[in-house]
Amino acid sequence: MGETQTAAKTVITDDTRWYLLQEKAMEVRALRAFSLLREAGIEPILIKGLAAARFYPEPGSRASIDMDLAVSADDYEKALEIARSAAANGLAIDLHRELRHLDTVEWSDLFANSQLLELEGGTIRFLRLEDHLRVLCVHWLTDGGSFKERLWDIYYAIQNRPPDFDWARFLDPVSDTRRRWMICTVGLAYHFLDLNLDDTPIKDEAKDLPAWVIKTVEKEWASETRFRPLETVTHDPIMLLKQIPRRLRPNPIWATVQMEGSFDAKTRVFYQIGSFFQRILPSYKRLSQAITVRPK
Amino acid sequence: MNNPNGLKNPIARQSGLVVQEMPDEVLVYDMDTNKAHCLNQSAAFIWKSCDGSKSVMDIVQQFESNGRGKVTEDFVWLAIDQLNENGLLENKIAPRFLGQTRRQVLKTIGLASMVALPVIASLVAPKSAFGVSSCVCNNPAQCATAPNAGCPSTTNCNQLGLCAPNTPSQNKGKVG
Repeated sequence: MGETQTAAKTVITDDTRWYLLQEKAMEVRALRAFSLLREAGIEPILIKGLAAARFYPEPGSRASIDMDLAVSADDYEKALEIARSAAANGLAIDLHRELRHLDTVEWSDLFANSQLLELEGGTIRFLRLEDHLRVLCVHWLTDGGSFKERLWDIYYAIQNRPPDFDWARFLDPVSDTRRRWMICTVGLAYHFLDLNLDDTPIKDEAKDLPAWVIKTVEKEWASETRFRPLETVTHDPIMLLKQIPRRLRPNPIWATVQMEGSFDAKTRVFYQIGSFFQRILPSYKRLSQAITVRPK
Repeated sequence: MNNPNGLKNPIARQSGLVVQEMPDEVLVYDMDTNKAHCLNQSAAFIWKSCDGSKSVMDIVQQFESNGRGKVTEDFVWLAIDQLNENGLLENKIAPRFLGQTRRQVLKTIGLASMVALPVIASLVAPKSAFGVSSCVCNNPAQCATAPNAGCPSTTNCNQLGLCAPNTPSQNKGKVG
């Protein structure tokens, strides 16, 4: 082998190998899940995970452990039965009844605009990129901006968008409040990850980020305790204790989004109070259920 | 199918596996056991040759006629034993080198072979895979002391301790 060829050879690490296989395994699982649901006459749409990974520059660089599938509200119960059946064992399906809080566009509209993509061994349905980008943005915000690695989903979706990306389709079908959420999330990818927005119609708006949003994200990323659902930490009293203050004074981004609030409002306090009261009962129910059913 | 010695011919497992061909190796993920393996070229060639119709001797001949170099039956057996151990064969094959350590076997075959020995390496899940995160840093201190600690990009952790390049303001020393 010549010197040039040797130098050009890419070094593959075990981590890369692992993630490559994981991504391919996830494709196989997704094809299986689609096939199972299609047999029952249900056509799901895959969101997040593989749908985000396809815009990453290198295969295997976006890890996911479960598969988010959205189905129409009419098909939800039937799909849930299938997702919980023995045939779906190991598929790790996280089933969504349409997109709920993640998007306000009608399911029929989203579905009509969705795309079938050919993978090795079958087809998978994804949202069109503009719609999916809204989902990625809102999902990232509902985690309070705490998942720094997931901001790359937004970065790569925009950086590697097709030339015919329709900014109006991305921003116009939702309320002004949500429109601002999207722009701010893209703006955070610019602020923290140096996303190039020069050739976009939102380049000025996205750079005009409220200071509190940046501060919240920085605080989250510096925190050693990530937000976790209470029912998942009942086995760990220390973690449980650490999670409680996060509920008492909710993450401002998360609270604002939960209350469908404006990023430009003067204060977060009212959203945080609203969020606290809105979550207290469901949280209590989930927690007590988790404690009751926890295996001894 | 049995070979003339009454032994079963090896058959490569097909179901429940995800196979990723790479330029110099083949990666295999076992979806039943969630284990991942990396087969070097010799091991991969032998694995693919295991179609149930070929005896070990046939595989030796195929290996050589493919221009991969002269090998012995033990060479192919070394691969088959590893494929067997890792659950990559459809049928269980009695181990050839029972009672010998891998080191002894490698020494014997290695001395007689000019070809890269068949190797199947197990891949261990990266630490970050357990946290659903592709970056192991949870705070700036970790990021600062462990650059490239699993960041999902080709860039380093920046001065804020985030998996990202420095922003223009950070480059000027104005963090935040």
